[in-house]
Amino acid sequence: MKNGAILFLGLFAALGASWAGIVVGSSTQFGALAPYYDQVADQSYPNGLAGEAARGQLVYRDLNCASCHTQQVRRAGFGADQARGWGERQSVARDYIYQPFVQLGDSRVGPDLANYAARKPAAPDAAAVYRLLYAGQGGMPAYAFLFEERKIVGQVSAQALPAGAGVTARPGYEILPTPRAQALVAYLLSLTSPYDYPEAKAAPAPTAEAKK
Amino acid sequence: MISASAPASAADSGVVEAYGHRPLLFLAGFALFWLVISGFFALVAGIQLHAPAFAAGCSVMTHGRVVALAETAFVYGWLGGIGLALTLWILARLGGEPLRAANWIVAGAAFWNLGVALGLVGIAAGEATAIPLLELPLPVQPLMLVAYGAMAVAGVLAWTGRRRDVMFASHWYAVAALFLFPWLFSIAQVMLLWFPVRGTLQALVAGWYGQGLWTLWLAPLALTAAYYVVPKASGKVLPSYDFASLGFWVLLFVGAWTGGRHLIGGPVPAWIATIAIVAAATLLFHYAIVWVNLRHAHGAGVPLKFLGFGLSAYVLGGVLDALTAIRGVAEVTQFTYFSEAQHQLAFYGAISMMLVGAFYYALPRLTGRPWAWAGLVRAHLILTGIGVVALVIGLGGAGLVQGTDLNNPAVSFAEIAAHTEGWLLLATAANVILLLGNVLFLINFFKSALCPFYAAAVKSYRGEAALEAAR
Repeated sequence: MKNGAILFLGLFAALGASWAGIVVGSSTQFGALAPYYDQVADQSYPNGLAGEAARGQLVYRDLNCASCHTQQVRRAGFGADQARGWGERQSVARDYIYQPFVQLGDSRVGPDLANYAARKPAAPDAAAVYRLLYAGQGGMPAYAFLFEERKIVGQVSAQALPAGAGVTARPGYEILPTPRAQALVAYLLSLTSPYDYPEAKAAPAPTAEAKK
Repeated sequence: MISASAPASAADSGVVEAYGHRPLLFLAGFALFWLVISGFFALVAGIQLHAPAFAAGCSVMTHGRVVALAETAFVYGWLGGIGLALTLWILARLGGEPLRAANWIVAGAAFWNLGVALGLVGIAAGEATAIPLLELPLPVQPLMLVAYGAMAVAGVLAWTGRRRDVMFASHWYAVAALFLFPWLFSIAQVMLLWFPVRGTLQALVAGWYGQGLWTLWLAPLALTAAYYVVPKASGKVLPSYDFASLGFWVLLFVGAWTGGRHLIGGPVPAWIATIAIVAAATLLFHYAIVWVNLRHAHGAGVPLKFLGFGLSAYVLGGVLDALTAIRGVAEVTQFTYFSEAQHQLAFYGAISMMLVGAFYYALPRLTGRPWAWAGLVRAHLILTGIGVVALVIGLGGAGLVQGTDLNNPAVSFAEIAAHTEGWLLLATAANVILLLGNVLFLINFFKSALCPFYAAAVKSYRGEAALEAAR
């Protein structure tokens, strides 16, 4: 190879080809994916994140929760995602179209969170999530900096974490979630896969009779 | 095709280094500093995997942020800095002319490292993007782009102003790295941060960028150095050099297509994963050619020991990428520490080791005197060799256990943590060893390159062969 111009053009073509193929190609395929409108329910899915949940996603992002948690349930028969109760169907591209920062993640040090708020067998409630964030559990570290310990003035605040299960405040003090914690919990509790899109279900397998 | 013998004569090199060495040392010195910094964060992140409560009390040391800090300091601070310093040096040597636009290198290096520093502060403060390999906070990224462009000016001038018309394999890889990084980086910035694409397209663009960063920037940087240093240090012609250009174009055209292998089974069209599987298998041609071309890297001398290790890791990593891209294997290894082991094998075992080997070769020629402490050089070689092997084995073992356990719904996360603990402790021990080795490396560099007292003692230019310590 002697010709610098050919090398330069080749480099451009190499980068351009992969960009056109992967990025532009898939963008034309599903970049404009529309929400699914269910005529019977007169409702379209998915819905955008509510204000507090959208702020919570920023907290999720800045703590880089995606370094330990994925948000993508794989199909039945490929891994044990559904058997673990993480979701009843696989995640599809349509689930994410209204998320400002898609957090698919690439590591499962902790469980998948795509369908966290509707997890089986028992879906967590806000109190449980606050307790988990404050005290940690197993491999999940405690994020105590998302909470503040405040002196009780008058009545105990309605938002204070109930004592027990790792939550102990000094006498006369209460533990309150900061606005960041509230937003994060609102986000986590918004994580559901609310609707079975047509593409989310595997095509029914042909029966023995039909094969004949 | 040209001959594979040493392209720049020894007479040229004295002129080259007389003008160019200070900016390159400036760039390389900062890179070594970031290597140690990233080692510290990698150690903290590693400890947190088997002791989650470690340093978790403050938001700065949250696991997610520490991971991002370690990765950013390693990739942009260390690999980018040292790779660019070596590439500029090699381009000047191959061109047979003194390095021009050295001021641009100094300015670019200053702002590049400022960008890395600001980026790390930003990540620690919670401004990371949460996109793997592109964690740098948004405001820092244009600065990095411009700084890179300033440094690349010197490389492009050395390439276009080369004394002989022919181009050596190092030329191709060097020019590829110089031009492709800014394109990739700016496309990723625009599509992910300035005007983010919609839905899971973000994950696709991020995957394309992450893979492109490796195959179109870091691997070319390392191969620039390897193709230059291996024939020089071994004194042997590159075998089957005629195939080198095929290896080059296969890497460039096929490499970035393998990005989708991380999205197998994910919420993206299935053809993305399928094409990645095919591309990962096709890329084996590239690894085979590089293995044949550079097989004399398995020789004597410290630079070659590092390069030989790096070459083996490079090829092994390629084979593992192809294997784990197969759907049945990905079902187990996806989302586990095994991916992390592959990542470390590729970034630390392959790229970093090759660049370190080339740097051991380059520094005596840049400064005109040997490495200050031959013992530290050997210690660094032994420690990093053991460290990388232990790190990859530890994470790989943990990953296989974790992957098998995750696919069995009866095994709880607490049990998975108990099953993987031993492997993760091995990985942490490896991180300690690596950090120690790299501190020795940094100390030796300071003594060798910067100590003015020592510089005054050696005035004359000794013959090239006598320059390598610990030969």
